[in-house]
Amino acid sequence: MSKIMTVDVLSSIKGAQPSEAVNRLFDVIKNAQTTNNNPFNNNHNNCVSLDNLRDDVVIESSTVEKQIIKDNFPKEKDGYLVVSKVIDA
Amino acid sequence: MKSQIQHIHQQLIDKTISCVDLVQEKLNLLKDNTHNTVNSLLTDVALEQAAKVDTKIANGETIGLLEGIPFGIKDVYMLQGTYATASSDLLKKYKSAYTATAIQKLLDAGAIPIVKENCDSFGHGSSSENTIFGAVKNAVNPELVGGGSSGGSAVNVAKDYTVFSIGGDTGGSVRQPAGYNNIYGLKPTYGRISRYGLMAYASSTDCVGPLAKSVEDIRIVLNAMSGKDTKDQTTYTSETIEESNILNTSDIKTVGYFKNFIESEAIDAQIKNDFLASIEKIKAKGIQVKELDFFKSDILVSTYYTLAMAETASNLSRLDGTNYGDRIDDKDLKESYAVTRSEKFSEETKRRIVGGNQVLSQGFSDEIYLKGLALRDAISENFEKDFEEVNIILSPVTPSTPPKIGDSLKDPLAMYLSDAYTVGFSLGQLPTLTVPQGTETGLQVTAAKNNDELVLKFANFLKDTI
Repeated sequence: MSKIMTVDVLSSIKGAQPSEAVNRLFDVIKNAQTTNNNPFNNNHNNCVSLDNLRDDVVIESSTVEKQIIKDNFPKEKDGYLVVSKVIDA
Repeated sequence: MKSQIQHIHQQLIDKTISCVDLVQEKLNLLKDNTHNTVNSLLTDVALEQAAKVDTKIANGETIGLLEGIPFGIKDVYMLQGTYATASSDLLKKYKSAYTATAIQKLLDAGAIPIVKENCDSFGHGSSSENTIFGAVKNAVNPELVGGGSSGGSAVNVAKDYTVFSIGGDTGGSVRQPAGYNNIYGLKPTYGRISRYGLMAYASSTDCVGPLAKSVEDIRIVLNAMSGKDTKDQTTYTSETIEESNILNTSDIKTVGYFKNFIESEAIDAQIKNDFLASIEKIKAKGIQVKELDFFKSDILVSTYYTLAMAETASNLSRLDGTNYGDRIDDKDLKESYAVTRSEKFSEETKRRIVGGNQVLSQGFSDEIYLKGLALRDAISENFEKDFEEVNIILSPVTPSTPPKIGDSLKDPLAMYLSDAYTVGFSLGQLPTLTVPQGTETGLQVTAAKNNDELVLKFANFLKDTI
């Protein structure tokens, strides 16, 4: 498989092309002057402290929730989700 | 305007209206409305809840302030068992399996959701025209757009179809439609309200935001929804904002505004004049006003859209028609993904996904995405310095008045640039409120991070000043 992936493949959108309007926004960024070129030296981190992490436990979904998830299946057979066959072209 | 929530609460207690009649009246208004604000009505559940409130009152039980108050929800929130379409073709039949934390808190307080509201698909737009439910029409002039992306929510509040509505603000999606329809709309500090159950657009700036007709109603709803939530680990613990704390405005000494916003060639002459006239009225009250330097509008807009597109490309990659949503089957799984996404996403959504994948791909990420992150840091630092000098930053909400329906879709770049005054505060994660005063599309009041109280306090000051 080719290592170069075009935006239509990356986006899983057939025939997708970069848009002129969006490219003009990106040009502004390319030409902008920044005093700080280190994107990891940031001050907007919304980190959670280790003491504050949520419990690593499995939470059982309610019966209603499970039923709605099944109702949302685009294709269903005998209570199972049906998907297209997986063939890597 | 005084608090509608308090007014209706009193009427319910005094039994001058019944909750069922109140909810039925609002449902009728929504059903008959021609502004395209409704994606789905929650009639049965709403009337059932209203009847319970009436029974409680009849039995002499006390009811909470929000109990029985009908409200609207932008159609990007989960509410178990109801449609959550994001105004998109892909999710037009999708039902929420669970309920968003912010909405659950309102349900716990007894408020009654009556409508899922029209908006731009996945929040992708500034006019509420990017929707399968028809363009939202402005509350004041139906030939103009309702604003976006929370356009349906803003119009419903403005027309009194809902008492308040819950929108979502990523780059201005609560504040701009609030301004276009002459109501209040708050983007709280990022993390004050849980995003759990809000369909993700750009996770690093997505905020839950209330729209209402008074500062007091914004305060009540904000308090009800705020708080730490283990299901959204960016949330933090915040204190309740007391009514008495936002009435006395004597500690606001200095206000700043961004010189380049007002000197820009893009600003409408009337909005500029009205903004400067508002500044003079504030000065006349003895408040010191400072001009501040800020980044150029095109840098703000480009930084915001670079990051937002990168984040939305990642967030929406889960939507492929496999587990939920409309699926178009093709010869294999990959083709099914591609055909489904090509056919079921709108042009604007596809434009943003492609843009996001462009900036995240090798060879582009260094000169665009990573530079965008660095610019965001510089913008945040700029804000921190500003708030060492001033208590409040005041700005117009938009450079122009609302466009005619149809114009924004023709020119996406112009639509992106119309967000020039709102996106900077999103990148800074700052609390910002639109007040329906000062210019035709209102004013934005911004304070330092976690200082939502000061924003509401200054809004009260403006009520008596402008």
